[in-house]
Amino acid sequence: MKITASKLITVLVITLLLSTSGVLGFDFSKLEQSITKHVLKNGLTVLVMERHDAPVVSFVTYANVGAVDDPKGFTGLAHMFEHMAFKGTTTLGTKDINKELELIAQEDSVFLKLREERAKGRFADSARLESLTTAYNEARDASYQLVIPNKFGNVIEREGGVGLNAFTSMDETVYFFSLPSNKVELWMALESERFLHPVLREMYKERDVVAEERRMRTDSNPIGRLIEEFQAIAYKAHPYHNPGIGHMSDIQYYSRKEAKAFFDKYYPPSNLVIAIVGDVSTDDVLKLAEKYWGRIPYRPAPPRIATVEPPHKDERRVVMEDPAQPFYIVGWHIPEATHPDRPAIDALVDYLGQGRTSLLYKNLVKEKKAALQVGAFVGYPGDKYPSMVAIYAMPASGHDNTEMEEEIFKEVEKVKASLIPDEEVAKIKARAKASFINQLDNNQGIAMQLAAYQTRWGDWHQLFRELDRINAVTAEDIQRVAKKYLTKDNRVVAMLNTSGS
Amino acid sequence: MKYKLVPILITLSLLIVFTTGSVYSQNVDKLKYPKLNKLEVPNVEKITLDNGIRLYLLQDNSLPIFHGSIRINCGGYLDPDDKIGLASICGTVLRTGGTSKWTGDEIDEKLEAIGGSVETSIGALSGSARVNILSDYTDLGLEVLAEILRNPVFDKDKIDLAKVQARSEISRRNDDPFQIALREYRKIIYGTNSPYARHPEYATINAIERTDLVDYHRKYFKPQNIQMAFWGDFNRDDLLKKIKTYFGDWKKDATTVPPLPQVDYKFEQAVYYINKPDVNQTNILMGHIGGLTTDDDYPARIVMNNILGGGFGSRMFNTVRSKEGLAYSTFASYTANIKYPGVFYAFASTKSETTGKCIKEVIKVVKDMQKNPPTEDEMRMGKDGYLNSFVFNFDSKGEVVNRLMRYDFYGLPDDYLFQEKEKVEKVTADDVITAAKKNLHPDAMRILIVGKSDDFDTPVDKLGLGAVDTIDITIPSGEKPKEVSVSNETVSKGVQILKQAIDAHGGLDAFKKVKSVNIKSTLTIKGPGGNEMSLQQEYLRVYPDKSRAVTKFMGMNFVEITDGTTGWKTDRATMKVVPMTEDDLKKKKVEGQRNYIQIFGAFDDPYYKAVYDGSGTIGDTPVDYVAIVDKDGNNICRLGIDQKTHLLKVRSFMGEGPMGPGTIEERLSNFTDVQNLKVPMTSEMYMNGQKQMTSNITSFIINGDIPANSFAKPE
Repeated sequence: MKITASKLITVLVITLLLSTSGVLGFDFSKLEQSITKHVLKNGLTVLVMERHDAPVVSFVTYANVGAVDDPKGFTGLAHMFEHMAFKGTTTLGTKDINKELELIAQEDSVFLKLREERAKGRFADSARLESLTTAYNEARDASYQLVIPNKFGNVIEREGGVGLNAFTSMDETVYFFSLPSNKVELWMALESERFLHPVLREMYKERDVVAEERRMRTDSNPIGRLIEEFQAIAYKAHPYHNPGIGHMSDIQYYSRKEAKAFFDKYYPPSNLVIAIVGDVSTDDVLKLAEKYWGRIPYRPAPPRIATVEPPHKDERRVVMEDPAQPFYIVGWHIPEATHPDRPAIDALVDYLGQGRTSLLYKNLVKEKKAALQVGAFVGYPGDKYPSMVAIYAMPASGHDNTEMEEEIFKEVEKVKASLIPDEEVAKIKARAKASFINQLDNNQGIAMQLAAYQTRWGDWHQLFRELDRINAVTAEDIQRVAKKYLTKDNRVVAMLNTSGS
Repeated sequence: MKYKLVPILITLSLLIVFTTGSVYSQNVDKLKYPKLNKLEVPNVEKITLDNGIRLYLLQDNSLPIFHGSIRINCGGYLDPDDKIGLASICGTVLRTGGTSKWTGDEIDEKLEAIGGSVETSIGALSGSARVNILSDYTDLGLEVLAEILRNPVFDKDKIDLAKVQARSEISRRNDDPFQIALREYRKIIYGTNSPYARHPEYATINAIERTDLVDYHRKYFKPQNIQMAFWGDFNRDDLLKKIKTYFGDWKKDATTVPPLPQVDYKFEQAVYYINKPDVNQTNILMGHIGGLTTDDDYPARIVMNNILGGGFGSRMFNTVRSKEGLAYSTFASYTANIKYPGVFYAFASTKSETTGKCIKEVIKVVKDMQKNPPTEDEMRMGKDGYLNSFVFNFDSKGEVVNRLMRYDFYGLPDDYLFQEKEKVEKVTADDVITAAKKNLHPDAMRILIVGKSDDFDTPVDKLGLGAVDTIDITIPSGEKPKEVSVSNETVSKGVQILKQAIDAHGGLDAFKKVKSVNIKSTLTIKGPGGNEMSLQQEYLRVYPDKSRAVTKFMGMNFVEITDGTTGWKTDRATMKVVPMTEDDLKKKKVEGQRNYIQIFGAFDDPYYKAVYDGSGTIGDTPVDYVAIVDKDGNNICRLGIDQKTHLLKVRSFMGEGPMGPGTIEERLSNFTDVQNLKVPMTSEMYMNGQKQMTSNITSFIINGDIPANSFAKPE
């Protein structure tokens, strides 16, 4: 259960997934034909792929909701709900559900009163605060008496489940694990139930856990803090502005009321895609899907966010001082993943900053020995809405961020000024091809990709069409997008300078 | 208006929560599963070539990819004490430094043009190479592999690059508190100098030379030390032929590789503390030495680990995370290795204010493991989890073939994993308790705490969990002070040059009369993003050892005050005035010793030796260098004196800069007459050739008024 706050690596991986087909005489159409899509009446999309290598199966539930959908004043709520989805259901994780629900209702009602009083700040009535706090602690402890902790995860691990986890990004919330392939029904039962009858038990303790997660990922991690600032100045209007994990005060303010409302709005079956890849029979899987997931009533999918980040008129820049070693990041605004310019941008990013032969690595690491690491990635902080391409650098000791910036800008100007040689464009395409084939090597990865493409494009086939997109890219396209997007006005800079100098 | 929606949604949501009893609301414990399809354990072919290379082949033509994984019997444990990091750098430059046929950059181009990779590394206990390439290019992959393993040239430039990278990593190693905890905890368990725990320092990286890499490679990269696993898209006979072409003529010899060292361990209760004032969360690791995988009760410990501190539903997770909400990240495990003991550790990271509480909770959980036998449910989780997930040991071809290669190296049978499984099946709750009682020592744990002690609920020395040892994680400077050759000749020449300098600056009598100086200056620092920042400083010094500096920046005051025995300073993080540490006071003393007025004034009765140390130029000005050396031969500082004017042009010394420790060079100019002395009014500080700060003196008063309480704790 993690939030991809430092999504750098994830993004790097996803960026490499530019795909291809029909190479080297290998027939990908067979692979494509082994995938089945079925949409239930309630709007749930089911994707199944049979792979009979080993008696195992991987499952992914891909919810088209992310931190970007957090309500105002409740940043991090999507992630909080992800945590709550591991707390069991009406049939799992309780000693007595009716009694427990009563106690939960009491806990909520006291907490809401307490929260209201707390929000008065200096004007709060201290005696009332104290009595409410006592009442709240009592109500909370009482409701926990009936909980069988972690029953949900427990059952899965006991039955041989591995890799039970989930993540919340700005765009989506993804739940996943794998089981021995004879236990498909267990997943169907458990997974559908948590989106049918979730019980948000232990929520007020779990907020403390999320607060610790924030301390770990952001507050106590200098690069985590820098990236939070980077995102905040990169977006003024659009909710990509907010940290996915949420602000500390918001985390401590949530109540079950908001979490449930959030669930109701964003977790209708029409907003979910499930993907099942492994040693299974497609027919059996679809039958079980009908039986278990079909129980969830239809609700309409939530609308997309309408807010558009207005074009920036000038560079934005944030500087953080910290005892840690320096770190530099620069981003430029670009369109979302489905935009026609994206394949060319992906190629540009590969050429600039991915791998040992990229312009930036050759210059800053190999030749100047000025950077410990430098790299470029695309799709930050999210990719469902207009996004960013970014370059980061960690100066080697004795070098500083100013030097990183100068060299990065120099290389960026180069790709704007002249065409990339054709053989380099061919290499970019060859690399994309190899990465595509490599990612077809494991059930979990395939399931994740199928669900992602289905969600983003409305059609999983697009995964296999990405090749055509990137193969159509020319050197002129790459130069054009470099000139169009990598401009001064469009850029955002964040750096961490070592304090105490 | 917007919020009007909320009550409606709540009503709706309540309905959904309370609507139970749906048709299939089920008890998952009652589900009936079909029989699991038979697990086909892939058949790995083992072949030993005449020269001793051991091969493990697993053909799988489902995707057009060729994979290789090579294990080399060597490791960082063989590094000499003064060259820790040698094996690691060797592992890097093997690949980047090129071969007799291709440069490293040419290999990069070849591989990246087709999206393939061949990478090498050497860890603490073994070396490895990994190949991943589309199967159309299998030949290229094998040839690059052969070149790298057999004919590396260790290009000097790429060694420099690897050393720069290694040094940069050292400089960053204290940025992440969890990394600090993991690194230091291994030292606490295995010993600071143990090959299982030690790590490079600037000095050990600096000491590594090309010949060391060449020797290391020559010593250990031999066919008899090499195992190669290949899997993926190939034809078995073709591949074998190719392997023989590339590796068949590699000659073996009779040398062997030294075994892994023994571990000495004594159980004791102790607390180790590392101060990390810039975090709000404490990282806690506690435990002791662990065991071997060959121990009789190893299968019982697998079950114990799952119950105690594995994933969801383990006791650590249930208590520390779910019940107490003390941590997001918490786990515990009694780890084991095949050839040397593992570590038992319990981990949690919690907010500073609950550090003591969290430590107590974790200890309770560990103790409880010895007292309260696993429930039936826990046994199911601990055992069934292992047994039911057993098939996942075979869901990746790479995993299967690599495991077999590892077993073979350590002389374990191919079916070792199946034997282990049979034993786990037989483990009882009694076995688990017996193993916990025998192996866990909750009263003799070494506890490491990394965090901000100011905010702890219980001070570390009040935990009552053993003596407290504070660990200093300051990164030692790698630069050795320059050796100065001290002889009658160099000393007499040094003294003569120093005397000329003193005369040029106003004469010894004038310096002897200086009892105090009062200096106001403007400091200019290259700030974030290259902007210049300006600071105002007032500095009062009463010779020999009292000083007071007040620096003003954006309305804030930073003080540094010492009366020679105690001192005060502004803490940058909290902006509070705090007492100086022993370390601070030591630094202040050394700072005084290298003050040029102090050096000049003590010429008659010197606390130092002045040693001639060669000549050079500062800009275009030729200078003679005089090293100022203390009684023990330690270099206090080095003065560069203009050969013509005899004025002091430069002063350099070891210090702490923004990028870590190094040589700081202070260039002096703008000499002005102040009372009877000629004083530099401008100084520019350089580090690594980059200007860090400029100081312009605006007022310089000798023997002026000294306000009362100048050296007392400021208000």
